[in-house]
Order: sequence, then structure tokens, then C-alpha cells
Amino acid sequence: MTLGATSDIVGTKTRRGLTGLLLVAVPVFLVGWMIIWPIISAIGRTIWLPNDGGTGRSFSLETYIFFFTDQYSLNNLSVTLWTTGICALLLVLICLPIALYLRFATGRLAAYVQGLAIFPMFVPSIILSYAIIRVLGPNGTVDLLLNSVGLPHIRSPYLTPWGPVIGLVWDNIPLTVLILLAGLGSVSNQSIEAARDVGAGRLAVLWHIILPRISNSILVAVSFTVLGIFSAFTLPYVLGPAAPEMMGPFMQRTFRDLNDPTNAITQAVIAFCFCIVFGLFYVRSVAKNRNP
Amino acid sequence: MKRRAFMLSVGGAAAGMVLLPRMAFAEAGKIDWYTSSDTNILDFWTNVVKPKFEAANPGVILNLVDAGDSAGQLAIADRALAALQTKTDPQADYFESGEPRLPAGAIEAGLYVNLKEAGLSNWSKVNPLGIDTDYSVPYRGSQVLLAYDTAKLDPAKAPKTWADLVTWIKTNPGQFIYNRPDKGGSGGNFVRRAIYEANGKDPAAFTTSNFTAEAAEKALTPAWDILKDIAGSLFDNGAYTGGNTPSLQLLGQGAVTMIPAWSDQAISAINTGVLPETTGLVQLQDLALPGGFSRSVVLSNGVNKDAALKLVDFVLSEEIQSAVLSELGGFPGVGWDYVSQDLRQKYADVIPTTIPSFPAGEWEKAINDGWYRNVAPNVDRAA
Repeated sequence: MTLGATSDIVGTKTRRGLTGLLLVAVPVFLVGWMIIWPIISAIGRTIWLPNDGGTGRSFSLETYIFFFTDQYSLNNLSVTLWTTGICALLLVLICLPIALYLRFATGRLAAYVQGLAIFPMFVPSIILSYAIIRVLGPNGTVDLLLNSVGLPHIRSPYLTPWGPVIGLVWDNIPLTVLILLAGLGSVSNQSIEAARDVGAGRLAVLWHIILPRISNSILVAVSFTVLGIFSAFTLPYVLGPAAPEMMGPFMQRTFRDLNDPTNAITQAVIAFCFCIVFGLFYVRSVAKNRNP
Repeated sequence: MKRRAFMLSVGGAAAGMVLLPRMAFAEAGKIDWYTSSDTNILDFWTNVVKPKFEAANPGVILNLVDAGDSAGQLAIADRALAALQTKTDPQADYFESGEPRLPAGAIEAGLYVNLKEAGLSNWSKVNPLGIDTDYSVPYRGSQVLLAYDTAKLDPAKAPKTWADLVTWIKTNPGQFIYNRPDKGGSGGNFVRRAIYEANGKDPAAFTTSNFTAEAAEKALTPAWDILKDIAGSLFDNGAYTGGNTPSLQLLGQGAVTMIPAWSDQAISAINTGVLPETTGLVQLQDLALPGGFSRSVVLSNGVNKDAALKLVDFVLSEEIQSAVLSELGGFPGVGWDYVSQDLRQKYADVIPTTIPSFPAGEWEKAINDGWYRNVAPNVDRAA
């Protein structure tokens, strides 16, 4: 009898597990089919190159060696890393105060600030690009305003590496603010009041109470923006200099203009290797949150 | 029984996935039309050609597709050539500006219709200056010229030769900009003019079939030297815009004094107020900046080949050819005798006598990659 009951329970458990597996089967299948498989296929196609004679394929790291010995490609990679790093830093510096303000302020003004901070999400990047040329470009609005009060002409960031930085930071503000704001939700008013009661100043509250609680959110926000910025296309294409290019425009040009898919895929695999580091940061922090 | 049902459903799903792509057939009566040109051309087709053609040919509709750029359209042509070999549907009928020599061997394989022998009633009107092969029909022309601000540069002093232009650029640093050669024809043809300059100003020296890596090395290296020489005197110590339109924008904002521009885009920009009325246009007299006719091709294996041939005839009609002049600011593909007299007089200054035209294909790749590697990086922007 006892034995029967146990096997019944075991049976139910298995069925439940099966339902769970079936529920995740579709997303897992899609991830496998549309993400994991293309990655494997891309790596395969860049290390198994066609032989010179045109018959068969053999193992070769030729395209990777070319990339890492070609100064032009390396310059493109380094400008991409530079842009990504600067953007991530600026985003945290700009968005953290906005998020802190929105977390603790109440009233109508805060609602307007929130609306303004989320606004860039609804502006397509191609429109943003041309707007930035109008505003920050040579003889643009900023130039005209400065000139009208007798200030000297500034050098426009348009067509320099700073052009895409300004555009990308503006474009990524909403996502970063929203993630940080979500993280700040876990900071309770009581803990801050308790700290104040024992005499903690504003900076001490920020440093000892708030930042430790939201370090995870900052990490997630940085991972997300880094992943987006690393593969940015439109803003660097329209606002950036002709050379060095960021990886997005460089890959597209190699693939389409030069009709060279093998080298374009090699560039994509290298970009992917950099992005996976931040992807792992994100996965790790999510996993850590699930098992407190 | 359960296993059987499972096998049936899996088998069905697998069969469905195999069949799925085959269901995307081209529709009869819908001409699949592709362009690699700029938005102004697509607008012209959307607003002028499409409504007129569809009104004149009930039951036929034009599906206008932007292929992005010439590389994008070439990918469609590659697909059509593969479809020809497997006798499947290419889902393409008409390329607004195509080069019938591409993909290599396409003419021999019979991918494109021989338009001269296709019995078109308007073929005899085509301007002989524009005919390149019997497989493509020139229907509009445009040429790159120099657009400049007459408020800053006296038209009498505008450069008339390449040497004058280089001197002007160097004595007026920061006042000239051209776009990256792969991102638009105005900068692309400016670069090609430099290549002609470095190779005896002979447009006949470059053909689609005479490309070799060695020839490119020999012909292009001196051209890169010419362009590197002026790089430091360009706008912002060697900046290059990302396309034809951003160049026009910089000229319009008064940030630069002179740019190379397509004649049709410059004229329509002046007409619509994007460029001020004080904009002057000048062409080099020693050898014009290249340009050329845009030539349409019809795919022989397209489902709507006959309708597409009707479209070619329609595009060569006086109605559309006059619209090319008046709406587009281009010049017609038919002889000037076949457009109305008053239009002929009004646009006398864009009537060309010769237009150097640079071959596409392998040369284009070599020029684009060579420019990015040799010209674009080698300038000290901080200076």
C-alpha cells in the first residue's frame, strides 16, 4: 500500500515536470534554432574555410589572423570599445541622478521629468541622427545660440567619434533609467530613515545604503547598454567619422559593399566574443537574484 | 496509437516547414520593381510613374521595392540568376538602374531581355549617347557637378578644371566636403574623377572586364595620393559625410562653400528651398565629373516579363520623359527632340555632350575598400 502511494506521488511529479518542460520547450527551441545554431554555424564557417582549389573545406584561422594583424580592423575594434566604454560610463553618471530623483521626488514635476527621460525611447535613431546634425552640427542651433551671445564657434562633434557617443547616450537613457529605477524600488524608505536617524549624511546614505542595494541593477543596466551600443549601426553610420568605423557599419560594409561574407562573419564572431562577457555578467546577476 | 499521432504531427510540421518558402510566389499582374537609387527616384516612381502607368494599364500594379544600394540590388540579381538555373521564380521583373554585365555572365546566361529586339515602339527614340548595351535602356541621366554658395564664392572665380579645384580647396581649407564613395554617387564620382585625373583623364581606360588586382593597384594608388593630398584641407580637417543628402545639408547650413552633388538632387533641392537660391552649379571643363544614364533592365525569367516590357515602353514615352526633366531635374533618356520644346530650352544648361561613366562591379569594390583603407584614416583630424 505504502509502496503504491509513493509511486503515485512520483508519477504525478514526473507528469508535472513534463508539463513544465513542454512549456519551456518552445522558447528553448527558438533560442536554439535562431540564436545558438547561427552562432555555431558562424564559428564553423569562419574556421572551416573552402580550399583554394574549390574542393572541400579545411580548418584555418586565416580570417582571424587577418583581423588581428590588420591595423585598420584593429582601429575599428578599438574605437568600438572606446565608444562603448565612454557611453556606459556617461550613462551611469547621467542616469543615476535622474533615477534617484525620480525615486524620491513626488509631485507633478517628477512626472514631467520621468516623461522627458523616457521620451528618447519613442524617437527612431535615424530621425535622432538628422536632428543631432541640425542641433549640434556645424552652424546648427547650438552654434547659432553661442554666436548670438558673442561666444566663439565650437568644433562640432558631427563626423567625429563624439558624434555617435552623444547620440547613443541620449538614445539609451530611457532603458538605463528604467532599470535603475526598478532597482531603487528595492531600497526601502525605512532603511534610509533608520540611517538618517543615526546621523548619516546624504553621501553616506547613498554610499552605504543605496549603492550596495542597486549594484546589481547598475550591472544589469551597463550590460544591456553595452550589448546595444557595441552593435549600434545607424548613429555611428550617420554621425561618426569615415574612419575608424564602429563594428556595426564595418560589418555591414564588409558584407554588402565588399561582398565578403567570410570576413564579415569573422568580425561578427569577434564582436560576439566581447558581448558574451557582458551577457555572462547579466546572466550571473540574474541567477544570483533568484537564489538569495 | 499515440506514437502514431505524434509521428503524424511531427511529419506534418516538418513537411510544412519544407513547403513554406515555396508558397511565396510572385503574383501575376504585379511587377516586382527594384531600385538602388536614392529616395528622390523612389518618390518620382511612387508619385508620377506608378499612378500614370497603373491608370494606363488596368489590372497591372507596380510593386516598388527599395533594394537599398547597388550591392543590395546585385544580391537580388544573383538570386534571379540562380533562379534562372533552377527554373524557379525570381520574384523580380524590373531593375530601375541595373548593369546587365552583372552578375558576371548574366547576359550570356540569358538573364536579361534584349530590349532592342523586344519590339518596343519607343526604342528608336532612345538617345544614342546613352545606349550601353542592347540589354539595358537609358531612361534618365544625371551627372555630378559642383554646387557652391555664390554668396561666398564669385561665380566668375569658380573652378573650371581639376587643378583649379584642388588649388581652391587648398587655399580655402575647411570649405569643401564630399561623401564616402560607397554611400552615395556624388562623393563616389568625385573619387572617380580623381582616379581619371591620375590615369591620363581617359574614361576609356576602365571597363567592367579589364579589372585585375594589379591594374587596380597601379591605377588607384596615385589617385589615393591625390585625395590624401587634399584630405587635410577638407571640412573639419578631413571629414566625409555619410551620403549625398548630408552633404547637401552642410551646404544648406552654410557650413561649407562647395560640394560635389548630383545635378538632379541639386536642382530639386534648389527648387524646394533645401538649398538657397544663391546656390551656383558648375561643371569641370577639362573632364566632367562622371555621372551617367540610369539604365533599366528587364529580367527574362520574371513572371511579369511582358508587363515589364510595357513599362519600359511607357517610361520612354514623352509624358514620362518630360516628367524626368520637370519633376526629377534629371535629363531624359530619349533624344532631346522627343521632349517638349519649352522644356528643352528651360533645361539647356544640363544638356550634356559627353558623360564619362565609370564601370561598376569589381572596380567599385576595389575603389570603396581602397578609399576606406588609404584615404579616410590617413589624416590627422586633431590638427
